[in-house]
Amino acid sequence: MHSRDFLTLEGTNRKELREILDLARDVAEGRLSKPLAGKTVCLAFFEASTRTAVSFELAARRCGADVISLSEKGSAIVKGESLVDTVVTLDSLGADTIVLRHPAAGAARLASRHIGAAVVNAGDGCGQHPTQALLDLCALSEAFDGFEDLVGRRAAIVGDVLHSRVARSVIPAFLGAGMDVALVAPRTLLPLDTDAWNLPILPSVDAAMEWGAEVLYMLRLQNERMTGGSPRIPSVAEYGAYYGVAQRHLRRGVRVMHPGPVNRGVEISGDVVLNEASLIPNQVAAGVALRSAVLTLATGVAHEVAA
Amino acid sequence: MTRRNGHNPELVIRHARVLDPSTGLDGVKDVRIVDGRVGEVGDGLRGIRKIDADGLHLFPGFVDVHAHWRTPGREDEETIESGSASAAVGGFTGVVMMPNTDPVVDKPVVVSGLLRRIERESRVRAYVSAALHVGLKGERLTEMRLLKEAGALCMSDDGLGTQSAGVLRNAMLYAHSAGLPVLLHCEDHTLATGVVHDGAVAALAGVPGSPASAEDVATATALVLAAETGAKTHITHVSTGVSAALVRFFADRADVTSDTTPHHLTLTDGLISSLEGMYRVNPPLRPEGDREAVREALRDGTLDFVATDHAPHASEEKELPLEQAAPGFLGHETAFAALHTELVLTGKLPLPRLVGAMSCAPGRWVGEGGSLVVGSPADLALVDLSEGWTVDRESLSSRSWNSPYLGRNLTGRVVGTIVGGELVHDRTGARFGIRA
Repeated sequence: MHSRDFLTLEGTNRKELREILDLARDVAEGRLSKPLAGKTVCLAFFEASTRTAVSFELAARRCGADVISLSEKGSAIVKGESLVDTVVTLDSLGADTIVLRHPAAGAARLASRHIGAAVVNAGDGCGQHPTQALLDLCALSEAFDGFEDLVGRRAAIVGDVLHSRVARSVIPAFLGAGMDVALVAPRTLLPLDTDAWNLPILPSVDAAMEWGAEVLYMLRLQNERMTGGSPRIPSVAEYGAYYGVAQRHLRRGVRVMHPGPVNRGVEISGDVVLNEASLIPNQVAAGVALRSAVLTLATGVAHEVAA
Repeated sequence: MTRRNGHNPELVIRHARVLDPSTGLDGVKDVRIVDGRVGEVGDGLRGIRKIDADGLHLFPGFVDVHAHWRTPGREDEETIESGSASAAVGGFTGVVMMPNTDPVVDKPVVVSGLLRRIERESRVRAYVSAALHVGLKGERLTEMRLLKEAGALCMSDDGLGTQSAGVLRNAMLYAHSAGLPVLLHCEDHTLATGVVHDGAVAALAGVPGSPASAEDVATATALVLAAETGAKTHITHVSTGVSAALVRFFADRADVTSDTTPHHLTLTDGLISSLEGMYRVNPPLRPEGDREAVREALRDGTLDFVATDHAPHASEEKELPLEQAAPGFLGHETAFAALHTELVLTGKLPLPRLVGAMSCAPGRWVGEGGSLVVGSPADLALVDLSEGWTVDRESLSSRSWNSPYLGRNLTGRVVGTIVGGELVHDRTGARFGIRA
């Protein structure tokens, strides 16, 4: 087995997704025993993160890896060391896999070009967040009747697509799984070229329900989209009215997802967050197993699956 | 609207010279109005209620996309009742109210409140433009989709230009998503530091001037953003040759329409040598070259229509030196007569083009009126093209009297205005009567 980078889900396919999801299920069901024993995983987070960092760290430790955590504070990064120099140093120290979170799109790809260790993109600017989209597919496969059952189901991705690395990974992941995808957002939160993905653009969550959405994937709305120097959204009231999910949308079978953290009462009304239609806890729960599978594949160890 | 439902819904207007440039109709015809709509256009139509209109012209009613009825907040200057009466006197059957009132029309409840008052108080069809930004401050976007649901027709920060292109671009993108056109007052406030056009007259008079670039730079920005965002954009009160040329360049590159005003088509900055506050207006009156270019742009269709920017002001805001006076002119009551006198009678603009620019094109823009096609709302203007009259402060229907045409003799007068089949302005009574 060779080490393998996980940089982007752009251009992914069913076979590839299936392999990762199958391995994640094996991990979840306890059929893999310490696949990363003797390996070193380095978490290099150049941007604040709580849930993703914790989830990766837990995954690496459960896989038996030695874990080095490098956060923006307390590292050479604050001394002005460049991304490339930092990851080259980690590589030289013997890291087998570097999990990288960075505020600029393309950082993971740039790092991967300079080092031998595998790079796992844990979120780069508005670029990609592949493990988020993969764990979303895990949670969805469980909620429906397995990965194969996702084919032909309709998912609406709602909110700030323009600034979302989650959307840039979820779109190819859902399409790769055979789902139909539509975007629900005002033009201020979409790329200028609304045909960039060649997906239908719908004006509201209500319209998404009419379109037949079975999955409402809600993106987080950053406050600065309303109040910054160049606001893109008028108010919480208007955003919630058209781009928020409310009780009335929860007709039988619709699933609500969100990468977290949720703005209650903005993109999701408070009484929906923990409704049974919400897959948000399932998404978080799927994170450790999925990231264990990704780290295992990235590190390239021969993993034996117990029967 | 305060149009009362007539006991007999039918009305026949006989022997008028009927002109509808949208269909090419031009001839002496009878028009039957049934249930508030144009029912039939033909010859020898009979009816119980009729107006004999021999010698009069009948046009689709004029539509004004730019008016300030000062309600709420400055009802001493204009109300919905007086503004709509003034519009009816001028032959206007549809008017768009601008949102720079007090409070600003930037919340859905203000729109719905205005629409309820329009229903009760307006003699003509009136539409509400809501603000593009909260408080017209060019910062936060208004709740455009909720404003649209409340009944807003379009979005505008009229009276002010948006100073940040980035802010304007987001507003245009958001309005596009909301399915609302934006109506833009194009003015760069870093350039517009004076009170009149920055030209020879201002120089000699010693009054601070604002250069034409204040309008042109902002117009260029708006047009570039319209082309890039795809937003439906209307550029209001184009007053310079350069801005007209910019509109011409972008005509097939953006979803854009534009208007100019009766005063920019008929007056020049020569008037400011009087130093009277009356003549302050924004954009300012321009020199002859700009007036000529704007006339040509209206004639060739570059500028789609005429809008008056009807802007009533109390006398204490106008009887002041130019530098202290409020900018703005009354527009409704003199628009047609001034343009007919200055442009049509002098051979500079064909009558059908004027009617197209005052009725058909703006009617299409608001989505109602501007046509005599059977089935259209019976929104009509009956006009005596030969009647001469003097613009007289005492006889204006507006609550204000700040018309730049006071004392002028104009030729062509609206003698009847019909909205939805009801006579809302009637000077035919004395001469023709409605025969019951």
